[in-house]
Amino acid sequence: MWHAGTNHESSERTGPLRNLPPQTREGNPAGSRLTAKLLSLSRRHALVLSGLALAGWVTPGLAHKPKGEARLPKISPAPEFTLTDQDGKAVSLKDRRGEVVAVTFIYASCVDTCPLLTAKLVGIQRKLEPKAASKVFFTGITVDPERDTPEVLKRYGQAHGADSAHWAFLTGTAEQIDDVTKRYGIYRKKQPNGDVDHTFLTSIIDRSGTLRVQYLGWRFDSNEFLGDLRLLLREPRSG
Amino acid sequence: MSGSIIGRYTRRDFLTHASTIGVAGVLGVSHRDAAAEPPPEVSKIRIVRSPSICLAPSYLAEELLRLEGFSEIEYIAEVSASGSKLLADGQADASMVPVQETIPDIDAGRPVVLLGGVHSGCYELFGNGRVSAIRDLKGKTVAISSMGAADHVFIASILAYVGMNPGKDINWVTTGSIPETMRFFVEGKADAFLAFPPQPQEMRAKKIGRLIVDTAVDRPWSQYFCCMVAANRTFVQRYPVATKRAIRAILKAADICAQDPERAAKYLVDKGYERRYGVALEVLKGLPYDRWRQTDPEDTVRFHALRLDEVGLVKSDPNKLIAQGTDWRFLNELKRELKA
Repeated sequence: MWHAGTNHESSERTGPLRNLPPQTREGNPAGSRLTAKLLSLSRRHALVLSGLALAGWVTPGLAHKPKGEARLPKISPAPEFTLTDQDGKAVSLKDRRGEVVAVTFIYASCVDTCPLLTAKLVGIQRKLEPKAASKVFFTGITVDPERDTPEVLKRYGQAHGADSAHWAFLTGTAEQIDDVTKRYGIYRKKQPNGDVDHTFLTSIIDRSGTLRVQYLGWRFDSNEFLGDLRLLLREPRSG
Repeated sequence: MSGSIIGRYTRRDFLTHASTIGVAGVLGVSHRDAAAEPPPEVSKIRIVRSPSICLAPSYLAEELLRLEGFSEIEYIAEVSASGSKLLADGQADASMVPVQETIPDIDAGRPVVLLGGVHSGCYELFGNGRVSAIRDLKGKTVAISSMGAADHVFIASILAYVGMNPGKDINWVTTGSIPETMRFFVEGKADAFLAFPPQPQEMRAKKIGRLIVDTAVDRPWSQYFCCMVAANRTFVQRYPVATKRAIRAILKAADICAQDPERAAKYLVDKGYERRYGVALEVLKGLPYDRWRQTDPEDTVRFHALRLDEVGLVKSDPNKLIAQGTDWRFLNELKRELKA
């Protein structure tokens, strides 16, 4: 750490290189040049540096600042949709500007991964602080619109204990679902036994409607997902 | 990131592509408003189809590639040329390939570019009763598909690692194809061969041979990718959006292999890549398909380049190979965009 207060008294004994053994300085041409530069500082320069250091502007001080948070990439505008929720009301993504939105794809009669994924997302929502929870909206879009009516989805949401104020389970016509799944990159194929083979992909959309990150599967780290939601809540809304 | 790839763009090309596919992050301007990701510049993509099912993500990617905007997906079978050579010759566009066969192609100046690692551990070296360790291969007959093919290069790399000279210490016998190497071994015409899935599973099921090296667990091989995503260099330069979308489809498919091997195995059987569900499942469960996010692909290239240099199979130093034959920009973006 560079203590500027001593610089003007004796340039021989001050500066960031003062404690290095001589051979280190001699063996390092760049270091030698820096040392020479430091030693050539005039008293006026040293006083200026003292002032900057007191103001907290000197580079070594910046090295002790906490690293900035990693930001999520801005992938693209999130694909828009307007679908029907568990209460029969129309829900549009664009109406959710100002909230962070998590969009996933499930179907109510799914017996393996969908319940696990839904349970995980419900658990994540419960871990959010009340203020944050009020600004995060979860949507589960069905990949089986033929069977998943609003009533069926309502029962599915209730069975999972999803907070209906901040959760929407959405359905639509076959064409609407076909369109939204394609635009979110969801593979979907109905099997002869009625199961729907589909990609388990959950997208997180920021408060400005931009797709920021996608989670594949259901074994992802809940804390990482929570961290991403909180990160986006802290970001200023743009656009 | 490989500087040489960038170097072949004009400044205008590079900035145009950067703004459309998000490579802008590399330039330090990633937090501007996101632009809609454009569709791929081409509607058709050609992927290599190899006899080995360890490249399962390439096959599972078919439906995901359609969702990425490719309307025509053609699988080009490896018959007389390796996957790497099909890419270099422009007969295929992008695919998973064994890294060991690609490094000599990069060294030879062929236009193939490594874009990211996928998994490690699909090779297993089997020997007969006369072979219980790598050094026992001295003076023995080893079956390979052809000189310079992935199995030959990989065994040469293994030999170099223990100080043997593959040019002098081994009696190589070429069989013309990977399936034939196993037949040679089983019929007693060779003392060892390198097995690719599903061959190791078949060997174990029939209790034939002795496992000498299992690259899924034996260091240092287990620490490096064996199979990576590669593409034809011209394809990458002309079609960066298509390239990124193709890589994304393959890496998503790799995640599906890792997370839901049962579903992936069923797909391989339904599509005819493997007829035995149990074998497909064993392969998929045994390989770390979720490794693409954690392991640095550059380390793999450097490791194998040094081994191949030791045995005279490449002439360039690793840094030159990395500069002229790799491009990690797309992978680095996808690591941030796609979590699991």
